[in-house]
Amino acid sequence: MTDLAVLSLSPEADAAPLPRLVRMREFGVGKASSVRISVVTGAILIGLWWGASELHLASHLFLPTPTEVINAAISVFKDGYANASLWEHVSASVSRILVAAAIAVVLGVPIGLLMGLSRWAKGVFDAPIEFYWPLPPLAYLPLMIIWLGIGEASKITLLALAMFAPIVLSAQAGVRSVTQERVNAALSLGATRWQLMREVVLPSALPEILTGARIALGIGWGTLVAAELIAATRGIGYLIMSASQFLATDVVFVGIGIIAACAFAFSFAMRALERWLVPWKGQS
Amino acid sequence: MLRVDNASVFFAARDGRPVHALDRVSLEIPERGFVVALGTSGCGKSTLLNAMAGFLPLSSGSIELNGHPVTGPGAERGVVFQKDALLPWRSVAENVALGLKFAGTGRKERRERALELLRLVGLQDFADAAPYELSGGMRQRVGIARALAPDPAILLMDEPFGALDSMTREQMQELLVDVWARTGKQIFFITHSIEEALFLGTQVIVMSPRPGRIVHRYDLQFVGAFARDRDARAIKTAPQFAALREEIRAVVHQSEPTRSSVS
Repeated sequence: MTDLAVLSLSPEADAAPLPRLVRMREFGVGKASSVRISVVTGAILIGLWWGASELHLASHLFLPTPTEVINAAISVFKDGYANASLWEHVSASVSRILVAAAIAVVLGVPIGLLMGLSRWAKGVFDAPIEFYWPLPPLAYLPLMIIWLGIGEASKITLLALAMFAPIVLSAQAGVRSVTQERVNAALSLGATRWQLMREVVLPSALPEILTGARIALGIGWGTLVAAELIAATRGIGYLIMSASQFLATDVVFVGIGIIAACAFAFSFAMRALERWLVPWKGQS
Repeated sequence: MLRVDNASVFFAARDGRPVHALDRVSLEIPERGFVVALGTSGCGKSTLLNAMAGFLPLSSGSIELNGHPVTGPGAERGVVFQKDALLPWRSVAENVALGLKFAGTGRKERRERALELLRLVGLQDFADAAPYELSGGMRQRVGIARALAPDPAILLMDEPFGALDSMTREQMQELLVDVWARTGKQIFFITHSIEEALFLGTQVIVMSPRPGRIVHRYDLQFVGAFARDRDARAIKTAPQFAALREEIRAVVHQSEPTRSSVS
């Protein structure tokens, strides 16, 4: 009798087995994190690279070992490359992208909003944008050089053109996402057209505009190497091109790594900006 | 007073033929009047409200508010929507004060007035919450406070409680009667709940579809009784209430055209 009582009071006996936690069956990826899978995949890819280069499955000229790439990265970081320090290369590229992005946003957002609001604006801007938007930037690169020379202007124009279209299209889509009810609510509260724009239309379109800007920055990094083909003396794209001419494959790897890191940092910053500017996204 | 005179609305159907949505509706909403439009979907009650709000021009006829013709949306006619249409990037208090901001009222005064209105609808503790943090009933209360902020002459309410569960709905009805009694606004209210119409209206108009028109009008005292005695159950279970509910139910179902009468 007493034994039984002691037994049932002991923690082992008292702790009920953990209940089976359940949730609704989901379609698609669902909420479970995929980060661990990605990390393992990355580790396997680097392992394969390391194995392939150490076992000399490919010539070092084509595939440097990870150690060589890290050494090249250290040397580029310490001494620079192609007559400029790493910082000068990175800042040249980043400032080109930022200037071009600023131009694309300043021109693209108002034009996109206008195209969403006015039949005339849509009619006027639709044709040229739909014409040039699918073109690969490399196709009109020669024109940029002929028209604008080989200085900064042609590079920045090329980048700005590549970023302009996605921003315009997203601003236009943003206006379309404004509900009639919200507009009516503002009008029945006495909003003027300008107040309606500032208080309702622009904030409603903001999530779409930010998504467009994020896509545009991605395209910008993609176009960068093309832009820096134009007689540049600074820039990560130039660094890669210049290294490739000397068959310095390890430095090409470093350049690619730097672009990837920059693009990732930009994308991360844009997501942070989104969380800060449009915390209501996906709510209500 | 809001006066609707012989208002007709024809929409263009997809094939371009005119669809008769509203047929020569005349209606007067007196000072302190609470007029409820009741009818099945497609009877033109939302069309009528959109015309009163100025969202929709009339094909013929006229609408006047205190002698001034209605030509477009304006702050003297507050609208409460079925879906709240709050701005998620503004706090509850800022949403309430939106009309004051449009009118150029200063920040401090806006805040004070918003808090005062939130107190009226019982949400003073949620002034700085985001709209999407509130429940459906609370959001509709914000919608009512927001519509009241510019001190409109009339409140136009388009099935504001239609999406709420029935218990919240009854609370909201009682709250609305309080707001009405305290502010003395004219109210035009749309519903397809007969009980809601009877409980709220000083006048109920029953509308019928194809074309939308008013087929019956009832003058009622239930809302006055509630504002006085505050006993909703007693009113809703009273024999007169039940009798009228059945009468109106018959009218509403009768006004619904059967398939044979349409073709």
